[in-house]
Amino acid sequence: MASEITYGHTGPVLKLEDVAIAYKVRGGEIEAVQNVSFEINRGESHGIVGESGCGKSTVAWAIVNFLGANGYVKRGSVKFLGQELVGKRGEDLRRLRGDQIAMVYQDPMQALNPSMRLGDQLKEVLTVHRGLSNAEAEKRAIEMLERVYMPDAANVMKRFPHQISGGQQQRVVIAMALLNNPALLIMDEPTTALDVTVEAAVLDLIAELRREFDTAIMYITHNLGVVARVCTKVGVMYAGEMVERGTVEQIFKHPQHPYTQGLMRCVPKLGADKASSMLYPIRGRVPPPNSRPIGCIFGPRCDYARERCRLERPQPRIMSNGVEVRCHFAEEIDPAQWQPHEDIELPTVHEVAPGEPLLKIEHLKKYYEVSGTTLKDLLGLTPKRYVKAVEDATFTVRQGRTLGVVGESGCGKSTLIKTIIGLENSTDGKAEFMGFDITGDISSRDLAVIKELQMVFQNPDSTMNPSYTVGQQIARPMLRFKTVPKKQVRQEVIKLLQAMRLGENYMDRLPRQLSGGEKQRVGIARALASHPNLVLCDEPVSALDVSVQAAILNLLLDLQSKLGTTMVFIAHDLSVVRFFSDDVAVMYLGQIMEIGPADAIYAPPYHPYTEALLSAVPIPDPTAEQKHIRLEGSVPSALDPPSGCRFHTRCPRRHLAPEEGAVCATQIPPWQEIGNGHKIFCHIPQEILRTFEPVISIKEKDESHVS
Amino acid sequence: MLVKDIMTRHPIMAASDTPVTEVQSIMSQNGIRHLPVVGDGKRLQGLITRQRLALKADELGSLNVWEITRHISQLRAGQIMLKRAQVITVTPNRTVERAAALLTDYKISGLPVVEEEIVVGIITETDLLRAFQIMLGLPMSGVRVTVRMPNRKGEFNKLSSVIAQNGWGVTGMGSFPTPRNPGKYDLVLKIPDVSVDEVQEALSSIPDQTIVDIRAAV
Amino acid sequence: MTVAQPVLAASRPPSRLRKLWNSISIVFQSRIGTAGLVVVAFWVIIAFVSLFWTPYPPNSSLFVQNLPHNSTNWLGTDHLGRDELSRLMQGTQVILLKTRLPGENRIAIPGGVAIWGVLGSLLLGSVLGLNAGYRGGWWDQVIMQVLDALIAFPVIVLYLVIIAALGQGDLVVIFAITITGAPGVARLVRGLTLDIKTRDYIRAAETRGESKAFIMYREILPNARGPLLVDAMLRVGYAIFAIGTLGFLGLGLPPPDPDWGNMVNEARRNIFINQWAVIFPSLAIASLVIGLNLFADGLREEITRYQK
Ligand SMILES: Nc1ncnc2c1ncn2[C@@H]1O[C@H](COP(=O)(O)OP(=O)(O)OP(=O)(O)O)[C@@H](O)[C@H]1O
Ligand code: SF4
Ligand code: SF4
Ligand SMILES: [Mg+2]
Repeated sequence: MASEITYGHTGPVLKLEDVAIAYKVRGGEIEAVQNVSFEINRGESHGIVGESGCGKSTVAWAIVNFLGANGYVKRGSVKFLGQELVGKRGEDLRRLRGDQIAMVYQDPMQALNPSMRLGDQLKEVLTVHRGLSNAEAEKRAIEMLERVYMPDAANVMKRFPHQISGGQQQRVVIAMALLNNPALLIMDEPTTALDVTVEAAVLDLIAELRREFDTAIMYITHNLGVVARVCTKVGVMYAGEMVERGTVEQIFKHPQHPYTQGLMRCVPKLGADKASSMLYPIRGRVPPPNSRPIGCIFGPRCDYARERCRLERPQPRIMSNGVEVRCHFAEEIDPAQWQPHEDIELPTVHEVAPGEPLLKIEHLKKYYEVSGTTLKDLLGLTPKRYVKAVEDATFTVRQGRTLGVVGESGCGKSTLIKTIIGLENSTDGKAEFMGFDITGDISSRDLAVIKELQMVFQNPDSTMNPSYTVGQQIARPMLRFKTVPKKQVRQEVIKLLQAMRLGENYMDRLPRQLSGGEKQRVGIARALASHPNLVLCDEPVSALDVSVQAAILNLLLDLQSKLGTTMVFIAHDLSVVRFFSDDVAVMYLGQIMEIGPADAIYAPPYHPYTEALLSAVPIPDPTAEQKHIRLEGSVPSALDPPSGCRFHTRCPRRHLAPEEGAVCATQIPPWQEIGNGHKIFCHIPQEILRTFEPVISIKEKDESHVS
Repeated sequence: MLVKDIMTRHPIMAASDTPVTEVQSIMSQNGIRHLPVVGDGKRLQGLITRQRLALKADELGSLNVWEITRHISQLRAGQIMLKRAQVITVTPNRTVERAAALLTDYKISGLPVVEEEIVVGIITETDLLRAFQIMLGLPMSGVRVTVRMPNRKGEFNKLSSVIAQNGWGVTGMGSFPTPRNPGKYDLVLKIPDVSVDEVQEALSSIPDQTIVDIRAAV
Repeated sequence: MTVAQPVLAASRPPSRLRKLWNSISIVFQSRIGTAGLVVVAFWVIIAFVSLFWTPYPPNSSLFVQNLPHNSTNWLGTDHLGRDELSRLMQGTQVILLKTRLPGENRIAIPGGVAIWGVLGSLLLGSVLGLNAGYRGGWWDQVIMQVLDALIAFPVIVLYLVIIAALGQGDLVVIFAITITGAPGVARLVRGLTLDIKTRDYIRAAETRGESKAFIMYREILPNARGPLLVDAMLRVGYAIFAIGTLGFLGLGLPPPDPDWGNMVNEARRNIFINQWAVIFPSLAIASLVIGLNLFADGLREEITRYQK
């Protein structure tokens, strides 16, 4: 390939050299970041990836002087547009950065004033800093909103932040950041809180704006797929150091640092399943800043560590393919020869033949009544209004199988689970579990049924009661359901803890002495303590780092194959669901749109919504070719969902349905049987659905370039 | 090709209260010869060039060594810069050749690019020279051929149809009135993925046109 | 997302006392808190000492009336010639250490009036707050309406009404403190409950089919411990203040045992002859209340920092 042509000056916009950043804490100091060097040029987007707490945000804060009272740059130099930032203070810094650095955070509300109209906030940037007239500023602001593909921009100007969706808020923040045409845009997990479809649109936008405005972008994320989609270069951080840095193509194709290789082995590929592939968690865990080894910082967890690694901290070296790696033995390491270390235990998964139907749900509905706030509403004069959170769910889960449920936030996944477990009672329909009726809530259920239905929660920080020890919390279900005689409870708890790969010494720990992954393990132990038949998992791994996530998924798989537990598994990560589940249901706005065996869902024929979801998933492989389907607008309100097919307002394939899609708006679609339990809820005839191309194809890039 | 396509966006800039000592180090460390001075949301206030940094003898004549040091350390960018009214600028939508004309007309080497007084970039001789290189296909390998043709309609058509017939591409092109030979034009082409002989053979058959130079070049 | 934490060595299950100490000892991290604790500890020690020893019998008139401080009576004497210091020392007992039951035989139970009163308001307030917060709906409406109505009365008026209705006595004062303190505690607990009940561990308890009472008292309440502890410290301060005020109005703890508020009230009549008899008990009240406040401040500061 010919070298890329660049016009204009190519000196870096941002250049960090050997930067160390420390926080002063009681009784000393922690060096959160050590010896980090990198540079970003104009029009380049540089990704920073790494697990939680490895110092990604700290680097960003150091650049914008946002470290708080106790943080400071201890060593090294940070040059922005050729000028040193370290050692300058207050007014000088402000002048240097001027309007030239903008930052976008994970939570858009951090940058928006909730009590001010969006238009006023956007205009303020121009009128205050640039002295533009109000009319002129208004015009510019609207132009910029249109630039970031905000539908109905003029109208959005008049709204308050809470009146638009999260994805739109993030777009407004990006628009606001771009109004000043900054030289450097720092984005700290800007799409982490967004749904895949919205995320995809925002990522497209970022990639496009980078090219158009020649802005240098520093993009912080923990998601390898996102990096592959928007970044040109990427640096991998581990425990405060940058261990590998290079172009996205090189890093993903030939990761050379053992940590980068480990990370890649932790995430399931989209399309991989548990029977044919394996996740390999990285053993051990990230050392806290003050007990990092003297030698290689990754040494204690590295499968290739040798004597030299213990004694000497490796320095970054540039490899033959231009990638900078911090490892003594990078040349010698061949990931193809890699064997899992004997310390990591891998699950044994064997295909289970579908057993008896355990959970049978038919036409289940859950409506929430919304109470109005006007006096009329209070007096009951207005007709009652309902949020239709789950509308007509029908499915069966067989003994020993796992049903995955996917869909965007607010589509009713969690409500479905809450109704099954009995935190809510259902509005209509049938639900049967082991032959018992479970349409009512917990208070109407028998203890014997309650015991068989348990749940694993999403947030590791709130899954355990901070006031009780691990042992007490695991023992509680045993005592409550009297599954174990009182005297044996302690032994049983220890047995469970060991099954969770936690030692007996965890018995008396309090939750705050545990890491996120450990808390999640205890949460699983608590759910399994009563030997339930069905375990409902609501996003059990989505708040965890990838290596911990891999370990927890392995643990669940292992337990499942040992105990024969049946599971319903909610997650928003489509690769994880594919990997973990036997069957998958896709939900949109309270309605199941497609259900069937996992492999059938992820291959054509697709439901149009599933197709859109799949083409939005960021894939950690820059060479993968993905169909470009983006949904317009946002999910309609569940208060009055669209008539006919609920997806018709956004469906990109609607024109293929009979009468050019007119039926979609009026008639409820039929369930089309594709075979083998695969069903699609759509008007488009099967024969046409079958002609859809697969969403993802992995191709080698061809190298022609001539005009 | 417009100015906005080849200018350097997000140029290094200074404020009018930046000390001159710092201005000096910024310019030498980053190897730049033009430093726009901005204030008030990147509004152009002036320009500092290398000459502006030179000390003016008449101002210093009456000062002794210590006073000179003090004088220099107290100087600010705003005092030495060329004031806005004297700075020649260009807007991002001008053509590159116009920008080049400004440089030669005023015998200067760089132009701040402003849009409603806001500095959005800078364009210098270097940028224009780089554009010139790229225009003639410098970074790509191929056969570089100069064809001399009479200045009349239809001549270019002859040439381009030969290229089209052979299914060749063109990665660089430029046309210049032949020096000291009025009525003729020299057309420079860069053709990739072919050999010198193929080109020689195909183009020499065109009536009224001669190949004045041909070489394989990178 | 979570950050890796150091692996702690295996530990014994912490005893209850140890836990309480752990939560209190973090106060030493704060200078203000430590200062407060020193003041409070000073008065607690004085109270214990006074149980066994005071310079002179506090209730007998052994000296010349209205003496200023001198070498025999370090803080002087009052209008009946009783030793100020002895009375001041003894005055701590009713607040912090003992409550006299009504009846002729002068039985006292351990724990001062202020302490019992605050415990009472914590108990009542927590029960109300938990039910209002966790059950919501009508429970919440009714409980909060009633408590709001109570809060609408000026505290002192409430005291007067209660004492007017029930007569004087230690138990009545405890009751009054309980009633006036409970609404505040209930609000605090309700707020905490509303927050805590959204946590997943409460969902987990619900999916086990635990009773409402179990969830409220075993799952939620322990997690409100920190803020409640802080609030309790402040409330002990208010209670002491209230007792002082009541004593000053002549409605406080019944004689003959000395009570700081009462001491101020009696000495007030001779303020032009002997201002010291007013100043010392006032200082005592002020210092204990301020000490408790500082302590509570330090505790709060550290607890919130600790939780982050
Ligand atoms: N204000 C602070 N005081 C003390 N330590 C801090 C402070 N902020 C962060 N740290 C520590 O610095 C280290 C790096 O934190 P940082 O927030 O930069 O990580 P991160 O990579 O952005 O993680 P995440 O993915 O969770 O956002 C962590 O060990 C963290 O506990
Ligand atoms: S230096 Fe040694 S321990 Fe560190 S990553 Fe390389 S091989 Fe592993
Ligand atoms: S029924 Fe119509 S609107 Fe709904 S998914 Fe099918 S084509 Fe799209
Ligand atoms: Mg972060």
